[in-house]
Amino acid sequence: MSETARVSLTLNGEPRTVEIGAGRTLLDTLRWELDLTGTKECCAAGECGACTVYLDGEAVNSCLVLAAEADGREVTTIEGLGSGGRLSRLQEAFLETGAIQCGFCIPGMVVAADALLRETPRPTLDEVLQGLSGNLCRCGGYTRICAAVLRAAGAADVTG
Amino acid sequence: MHGFAFVAPTAQAEVTGLLEEHGSEARLLAGGTDLVVGLRTGAIRPRVVVDLKRVAELRPGLSDAGGRLAISATTPLSRVVRDGRVRQWFPALAEAAATVGSIQIRNRATLAGNICNASPAADTVPALLVYGAEVVIAGRAGERRLPLDRFLLGPRRTALGRDELVTSIELARPGAGTFAAFGRLTRRRGVDLATISVCCSVDAAGVTRFAFGAVAPTPFLVADESGVLADPDADPETKDRVLAELTGLARPISDVRGSREYRQAMLMVVSRRLLRSVVDGRGKG
Amino acid sequence: MIGTSARRVGGVERVTGRQRFTGDVRLAGMLHVKLVTLDCARARIAAVDTGAASGVPGVRAILTAADLPRPIPRYGPTYRDRPVLAVGETKFHGEPVAAVVAETEEAAEEAAGLVRVACEELPAVLTVASALDPSAPLVQDPELRPDDLLGRTNIRREWHFGWGDVAAAGADCVVDEVYTFPMVTHFAIEPHAFIAAPDRDGLIIWSSIQHPYLLQAAIAEVVGLPLSKVRVFAPDPGGAFGGKQHAKFEPLLAFLALRTGRPVRLALTLEETFQAVRRSAFEIRVRSGFRSDGTIAFHDTECNALMGAYADIAPRVIAKSGYLICGPYRVPDARIVVRALLSHTTPATAFRGFGTPQVAWAIESQMDEAARRLGVDRLEIRLKNLARRGDEVVPGDRPADGDWAEAVSRAAAAIGWGSPLALGRGRGIAVAIKASATTGASYAIVRLHHDGSVTVMAGTSDMGQGARTVLAQVAGQELGVPLERIAIVMGDTGSVPFDLQTSASRSTVFMGTAVLNACREVRRQLAEIARELFGLAEGEVVVEPGIVRAPGLELRYEELLAQAWGPVRGELIGTGVRRGEHVPAHPLGGPPAFYEFNCTAVELEVDRETGEMLVLRHVSVADVGRALNPAHVEVQDEGAAVMGLGHTLMEHLLLDEHGRIRNLGALDYRIPTTKDLPLELRSLLVENGDGPGPYGAKGAGEGGLLAVAPAVASAVAEATGAVIRDLPLTPERVWQAVEALGRGGRPDPPAA
Repeated sequence: MSETARVSLTLNGEPRTVEIGAGRTLLDTLRWELDLTGTKECCAAGECGACTVYLDGEAVNSCLVLAAEADGREVTTIEGLGSGGRLSRLQEAFLETGAIQCGFCIPGMVVAADALLRETPRPTLDEVLQGLSGNLCRCGGYTRICAAVLRAAGAADVTG
Repeated sequence: MHGFAFVAPTAQAEVTGLLEEHGSEARLLAGGTDLVVGLRTGAIRPRVVVDLKRVAELRPGLSDAGGRLAISATTPLSRVVRDGRVRQWFPALAEAAATVGSIQIRNRATLAGNICNASPAADTVPALLVYGAEVVIAGRAGERRLPLDRFLLGPRRTALGRDELVTSIELARPGAGTFAAFGRLTRRRGVDLATISVCCSVDAAGVTRFAFGAVAPTPFLVADESGVLADPDADPETKDRVLAELTGLARPISDVRGSREYRQAMLMVVSRRLLRSVVDGRGKG
Repeated sequence: MIGTSARRVGGVERVTGRQRFTGDVRLAGMLHVKLVTLDCARARIAAVDTGAASGVPGVRAILTAADLPRPIPRYGPTYRDRPVLAVGETKFHGEPVAAVVAETEEAAEEAAGLVRVACEELPAVLTVASALDPSAPLVQDPELRPDDLLGRTNIRREWHFGWGDVAAAGADCVVDEVYTFPMVTHFAIEPHAFIAAPDRDGLIIWSSIQHPYLLQAAIAEVVGLPLSKVRVFAPDPGGAFGGKQHAKFEPLLAFLALRTGRPVRLALTLEETFQAVRRSAFEIRVRSGFRSDGTIAFHDTECNALMGAYADIAPRVIAKSGYLICGPYRVPDARIVVRALLSHTTPATAFRGFGTPQVAWAIESQMDEAARRLGVDRLEIRLKNLARRGDEVVPGDRPADGDWAEAVSRAAAAIGWGSPLALGRGRGIAVAIKASATTGASYAIVRLHHDGSVTVMAGTSDMGQGARTVLAQVAGQELGVPLERIAIVMGDTGSVPFDLQTSASRSTVFMGTAVLNACREVRRQLAEIARELFGLAEGEVVVEPGIVRAPGLELRYEELLAQAWGPVRGELIGTGVRRGEHVPAHPLGGPPAFYEFNCTAVELEVDRETGEMLVLRHVSVADVGRALNPAHVEVQDEGAAVMGLGHTLMEHLLLDEHGRIRNLGALDYRIPTTKDLPLELRSLLVENGDGPGPYGAKGAGEGGLLAVAPAVASAVAEATGAVIRDLPLTPERVWQAVEALGRGGRPDPPAA
């Protein structure tokens, strides 16, 4: 049995194939083999959400997925959100509400929020708090991030 | 991460074959939320990792037949939480499963994985114990079933043989008049490992069952068959005496999540509260 | 432009994942570094066997102390006490004994695991008590400080501040208590990352550093190069909070780059950052005297602060703690003793609040205790003693520079102080001041291009506080240029002029002033050009933002430059400086440029049976002089509030008997999540335009966490009657305190 794996996946809509060590996580593979550094590494234990990506349409911590598991699957990263170089409504909302500080948690936060809105297009504040509870931010205290998600969902302007 | 081979068999027989060949040097991968952390830290150093998610017999899903619900080994917890049958028939399991990690974790982690990881603090286990879950096990010799309390042997230890894997968890639909609830205590309100967890049910016959997590080497089940706990009119002091006897069977330890004394005391507090809500629900139901 | 909530400069990059943090930098031929550490805090290193590790394919070098110059190069912002690698013995858990360099991270990690270190564990100093014990082992070799009378103790420094005569001060009520504040860690979401690369006859360093110029100096010193040959690139840090102020492993990487001749990279794991940075733990005894009406008579304080094995910047943090321990009050007599103690633990460093949260915890809790004993309202006792504008807080130093009572009144009103409380609930209110930056120099260059667009070169690090945005707003305001036509260049010591540091909420005041001055210099040059071009006299030309006016003349900057320069073109270069000079006689090296004042008020509910708490409302009021970008100031303040709730409710590093961190990593070191937010969190700003920065701004962004712990503990005491003097207020600790009351434990009078 080989300790390397050949992985073919659809990454942000494009077919890609990589040869990697079987122990390589999806996170490392994205950042080092596929040159997509938008997805961030912090805790490497599934606690912080900085590495959140879509795997077959569901938000997952890419630090807890072996890249080999993604063979034949669809992966969407922060780089794959928005369209044609335009920001998504959610990304715009993050800018408008002042939700961004250092920005290191933001790619994972945006993907998690995007997933939340796909599942629950009109979330309540409680649903937003619940949906983002797997994403740590140390700068900003979360309130504006939640406001951004509600704004993107078309809710009333809650930033005051 | 040290080197290992990754295989993704498509048939269950291949899995048992790999297990027979590699024994403890093979590790099964369902959601990976515990395994991949262990691989990173080096706490787990297998020679081969076997991904179960492409095995035809183990496709994710929940199915019910003859009043039994079967949850396949690769079903992520987020699906368990969302499933209408789980929410209706096993609401305490839905509650418990919803407390496991974040949504990102629940999109990967499985019920079977939560059981096989055999953590004393596994959140779903108390609920599964209260509902009398059975573990369906496959090996070279065929299939066998074990009640969950006999499957769990100790921290990180299960009754799985060298060539065996869990293929599904089965739950018998509780009889009418059974009410249950799940509760836990954590260090913060957000995602956290349980300091203690408790599941409580009262059935139509007035038998009260408790399962306690994070207070013994494995979560364990106790019952009051006297009917005192289920009786809404019973004297609170008598109830407390019965509860104290049941929670007194716990053997909590002190660790970074809480002291032995706190755990023991909280077991009583949470149990009392859960019992009240279950008995109230039953009264209304 | 000033006073508007402009969008964050760099926001688009951050929301799309295009922002390049240090860990995202990829260089051709880059090697990877893994540290070799031991499984305990303190051990004698007998031998290091790299044989097996060298055999791992891809390994290019393994460095031990034996491969470094002798005496071993040492570095550190306060004392040069930290060796590049452990020499002789390790002094804290996680201190590297060797470093492996390999072609891949995997190879480096595998080889690091194969380095065999023969060692013997030695007893370690892990607590304040053991650090003060004369029979305890010495953390640092006395040879490192031969002329120091304390050289044969673990007291690295001791300060005595004070005024008046505490011994002679009378009081109607004396409160004498001990408070503890544990070790906590920064937990920036970006773990520290470093790259070093040879560059002809010099070195280039990339680091997620707050102070690139101090890093440049540290590297130049350890490797013996002139500053001009060390270039530091400092990509915007992904959160820093003080933990990224000073050199950590960059000196080691510099030696590795020189040794291998290739770029070398080290990205710490989160666990390794826990072993790299933390806040000093404090034990504070305070004896306070009060008059019967609540007036403070004196504070007599003794702070024992537990630093780590190397001083880093902790002694300065600890000195600042002590200096302003009496808080924003008029205190007639004070005696202040502060000790910076060495221990075999993670080197403590700066952490948002710079020593103030620890002392505010003690002093504000004393105010509550006095209020309870005297039957005075807790708000009242604060207002009674609070320094009014112009009052001295430390005699002879900068007097109170804000309307602090206004901030307190607004917080009290917002929390509904005095209105009826539901059962099980309590309110708390607390105040604090932090001494801002004292000394320091900031230089800026502003370049007005011939098309009227502007480049600002400023050595500040934008670590999330929004320095790029606010400096762009200053330039935009002064030169009448929209933000989208302004570029901010930061993070390159090779091209951007000197800035001492990004800390102490100084950048808006110091660098903001430097940028403002540079813009005004550009405007002077524009006036001169206009006078020469049109033959006008002094006073006939007025340069306004974006427009040059003279009698019968109104030109945009680019129009004037086009007329003056024609096809040859050019640019105007303005330089600006803001310096705060060193004052040797001042205990802090100079008076604070301003005080950062905050009042925090909370209302919460306690579950007496479990000790769990729910913060219902949290109000933070900051005196910011003027908010140049209100949204950014508020979000900073909210973030500080939540960070404050972290150390108040859940954060603490727990050590085992070997000095290892038991809750090493995100699984068991808990910080607040979305679900831990107060149900309502409000940030209010007091703006009186009375700061020393541009347009009357003061620094901001640290205040929100200074007073959280005492405010919360005060509310817990009101809700339960239980007074807690040790942090964090975990459910278990609150439960224990409530239980102790029930058992007739120490009877604390109910909250006033």
